[in-house]
Amino acid sequence: MERKRERSDIVLDMLLSIQGRGGRIKPTHLMYKANLAHQQMKAYLEELVGKDFVRKVREKDYEYIIITDTGLKFVEKIAQMKEFERTFGL
Amino acid sequence: MIELVYSPNWFHGKDIIIDTVSIVVLSLIAFFSIRCYRIDKENKNYLYLAISFIVIAFSFLFSIITNFTIYYKSIETANLGFLTLTYQAMRSTDILFFIGYLMHRILMLSGLFMLYCIYDKHSKSGMFLGLYLILVSTYFSRSAYYIFHLTMLVMLLIITLQYWKNYRKVMNKTSKWLFYGFSLITLSQIVFIFINTNPLLYVAAEIIQLLGYIGLLITFIKVLKDGKKKGKK
Repeated sequence: MERKRERSDIVLDMLLSIQGRGGRIKPTHLMYKANLAHQQMKAYLEELVGKDFVRKVREKDYEYIIITDTGLKFVEKIAQMKEFERTFGL
Repeated sequence: MIELVYSPNWFHGKDIIIDTVSIVVLSLIAFFSIRCYRIDKENKNYLYLAISFIVIAFSFLFSIITNFTIYYKSIETANLGFLTLTYQAMRSTDILFFIGYLMHRILMLSGLFMLYCIYDKHSKSGMFLGLYLILVSTYFSRSAYYIFHLTMLVMLLIITLQYWKNYRKVMNKTSKWLFYGFSLITLSQIVFIFINTNPLLYVAAEIIQLLGYIGLLITFIKVLKDGKKKGKK
């Protein structure tokens, strides 16, 4: 059976999705890429904005989500954490 | 009667360096695990791993204190030669030695038991039974030192087997290094059991243990490096 995604997995998936798109992504694309429901994504996105991991910007009538330097550093931290978890089987 | 020194004279003090290396490696991993727990409080295993590694690190700290008292005692007796002074020095170091000796063993077995419990969840009564067995084996190891190493060997075998299973599951290099590191630490306990037959076996056991902790350090460095690489992709 597939393991339920933890909170940290979802945050990492979201940040990696933005990073994978060159650092900016449209909210709908992020929703599909991170495999989230609309309400779920809204809640997580607010949290990420609050922590200064991402920023919302408007360009030519479109809204984009941009990953910040703090967000990039956090991606590294979480990736290390996940590697640690996998290695020690935690 | 507790036997004091298994180490050959030329190796005195080197085991303190080896214990210090172990403390540094264990502390690095424990503090990283606490940092992970602060990010993801849902996963309590980070906290349990950190606590067990800190407890084992403290056990090595007590081992260092014990070794210091042993070496201090022999220097004091050799240099002074005044009967009363020597006697007083021995009395005070004896108490330190006894406390250090007991704490080293209790903390080491407790730390390993905590680590084992991460992978094999127990009921509260099972935990109490485990702690009781730790105290009993510490008590009996006063007269037969090998009981302590035998208990450690059994616990380490189970933990190492868990890391082998985990390596088979995730198949990455870091988990392989973790398995190698713990295998060496386990192997060192087999050698420790026979140290009263030849002092050189004590040196061999300490060196194997050191290699085991270096294996753990390599695992930790690889975790940080590989994680960083994956985060940049």
